[in-house]
Amino acid sequence: MDFAFNDDQQLLKNAARSFLDEQCTSAVVRGLWDDPRGESEAMWKDMAQLGWLGLSLPEAYGGSGLGMVETAILLEEMGRAAYPGPYLPTVLAAHAIAAAGTKEQKARWLPGIATGGARATSAFVDSDLSWDPATTATRAEKAGTGWRLSGAKQFVAWAHVADVVLVPARAPEGLTLFLVEPASAGLALKPVTAIDLGTRWAAIALDNVSVGPDAVLGAPGSGERLVTELLRRGSVAASAEMLGAARRCLDMSVGYAKVREQFGQPIGSFQAIRHKCAEMLLEVENSHAAVYYAAWALDAAAPDAALAASVAKSYVSEAARRVCGEALQVHGGIGFTWEYDLHLYQKRAKALEPMYGDADWHRELILRHVTD
Amino acid sequence: MDLRYSSDDLAFRDATRRWFETNVPKVELKTLDERREWHRTLFAAGYVGMGWPPEYGGQAASALRQAIVADEMARVNAPPTINGLGIGIVGPTIIHHGTEAHKHRYLKKILAADELWCQLYSEPNAGSDLASLKTRAEDKGDHFEVNGQKIWTSYGAISDWGLLLARTDTSVAKHRGISCFLINIRQPGVDVRPLKQVTGNQEFCEVFMTGARVEKSDLVGRLGQGWEIAQTTLSYERGGNSLARVTRYTSAFHELVKAARGLRRGGRPLIDDPLVRAKLGRIYAELEVQRYAALRVLSALDKGEGPGAASSITKLSYSEFEKRYFELALEILGPYGQITAGLPEQLNTRVSASSGHGETWAYAYLWSRAGTIYSGSSEIQKNVIGERVLGLPKEARADRVK
Repeated sequence: MDFAFNDDQQLLKNAARSFLDEQCTSAVVRGLWDDPRGESEAMWKDMAQLGWLGLSLPEAYGGSGLGMVETAILLEEMGRAAYPGPYLPTVLAAHAIAAAGTKEQKARWLPGIATGGARATSAFVDSDLSWDPATTATRAEKAGTGWRLSGAKQFVAWAHVADVVLVPARAPEGLTLFLVEPASAGLALKPVTAIDLGTRWAAIALDNVSVGPDAVLGAPGSGERLVTELLRRGSVAASAEMLGAARRCLDMSVGYAKVREQFGQPIGSFQAIRHKCAEMLLEVENSHAAVYYAAWALDAAAPDAALAASVAKSYVSEAARRVCGEALQVHGGIGFTWEYDLHLYQKRAKALEPMYGDADWHRELILRHVTD
Repeated sequence: MDLRYSSDDLAFRDATRRWFETNVPKVELKTLDERREWHRTLFAAGYVGMGWPPEYGGQAASALRQAIVADEMARVNAPPTINGLGIGIVGPTIIHHGTEAHKHRYLKKILAADELWCQLYSEPNAGSDLASLKTRAEDKGDHFEVNGQKIWTSYGAISDWGLLLARTDTSVAKHRGISCFLINIRQPGVDVRPLKQVTGNQEFCEVFMTGARVEKSDLVGRLGQGWEIAQTTLSYERGGNSLARVTRYTSAFHELVKAARGLRRGGRPLIDDPLVRAKLGRIYAELEVQRYAALRVLSALDKGEGPGAASSITKLSYSEFEKRYFELALEILGPYGQITAGLPEQLNTRVSASSGHGETWAYAYLWSRAGTIYSGSSEIQKNVIGERVLGLPKEARADRVK
């Protein structure tokens, strides 16, 4: 039994750290805030070159066949850098296409994603705020050999740059997952601006959007299982990114507490500050254990993988929020300024907190796992 | 990263599980003799002092194997060994710092529970500031004479011997004037008085030493090395039991769920109340996080990486969690959670808390307050984490000698 990263995993982590330290500085992140796309095409291509976009895709489609642990390692580093871009939604959707797609669907999307030519996302939430796939209201009606989709989706991450959106909709056979291209007639996309300017969300209105029979991912009626698996993976992915943001805030706080002096001494010598930092470390280390246990459990198809994903998401959502918030408190006034970088990471953690199910929802799922 | 057990470890776990399922006492052990008997049964089966080196009666078992045994014991709620401090702290201290004569004289009797041990560290005025302890050990030529008072001495009332910290030099900085001794507490100069705790039980004692005798040969290490030795013994305390602790918490959780199915509020079972469900879900999530963190520590221990100061994170984490756990449990159970005698039949379960004893919810709730105080309070752990893990500057302290 070994909880530590193996040599390859450690190398990946180191490589990610140095790439993002150089290419995704806070100046770069800030520079993209006013950009309509909000991400850097050059960085995306570099990430494809590094093999990050195909990391968990099959080798036959240009991927490396690695797992969730490796994906989590990258996402943790991205959270640490407040990386702005569609990495998480793209690899998540790509994983679903790889897992449930036909040969044609895989050939259509996966090589493009792995080489940086295509981006993808998923539209989980309808106007109802629930993350329970059973509450999906968007409808799919048969139209000739294809389908017509109608409904409203909210908080679709990076939809404005996506080439394909995974859309769960209610078909006569039951919940079904559709591959929808945003350029389709009847689809209207409305971006919103939220506190994290490095996270982009959009609302998607579907008004009788026609898709062919080849747009169905998996069999009609198999959507509930697919969406549940996607949300599970997304929960661990988001937790990894929140962990990275939280650790960055902790590191900045410890660094600041060593040099900032008040009353003639570094503030880190005061127990009021030191104890806060110790509590932050405790939550960060527990979050690390939760994220990587869950990632490993998904890779190993362990019997408690679903439980572990919910444990990670419910724990890290709150822990990261607290750690980032306490970091602001350690910094005092400087931490409240726009110029200081702390809010980049605090806002990233906050943006991911409700995604793929908030802590309350995952605690309910946990209880169902243990008591049903 | 690979969290699977090896096939050897799995086989060991299965054999251990079978042994405990067959041999765990079917009735509660009440007397000291019954508990000593059980300890010796465990010892004969190879489950006591497993981590000790083979030359001193152990098997040099890996941290993982030791954790597996502790975990399997927790699974069947097996009574603990009777000489926990002897096995976990005194023995390893003697092995690391003792003379050959110490090892020959004491170790076997610790393993066999022929002699039971306690730790004589804390004093009424030396709690968190342990190094300010005032108990004196004076060199009387052929022996040391000890005068002073100790407190919070776990198992003092049943112990034969104590691992003692006492001041041997008042002329140097407080950390440097302390020495470590082995003292027979069954002597006229030692008076052990049980201390009643908020739980109503008497696990702790006060120990008064008046002209008590310690043999010259029972000094451990050098004169003045006591503080350094105490630092190493504190780190023996943590790590190996963390999985077992989670297993006991988990058994208690399933009892809590059972109770929440049976109790009703507003005409429906508590388990159907969203507020109760949220609390139960929160407990279970934290419980699992404790388990994952325990596996992480265990995997490091298993590779021979001592956790060092990071063991303070483990201690802070589980002890603070335990308080939150039983607070939520008693919120869910309402006044039923406070009943110590006369519980309705369906709630009359033995909750296995970290004390290792099956008790009521009320007892577990009260006992959960001990964990954030004993063996270094949460505040002391946070100081250690801040200074030694995060490298934050030391605080200005009036007693610090430059």
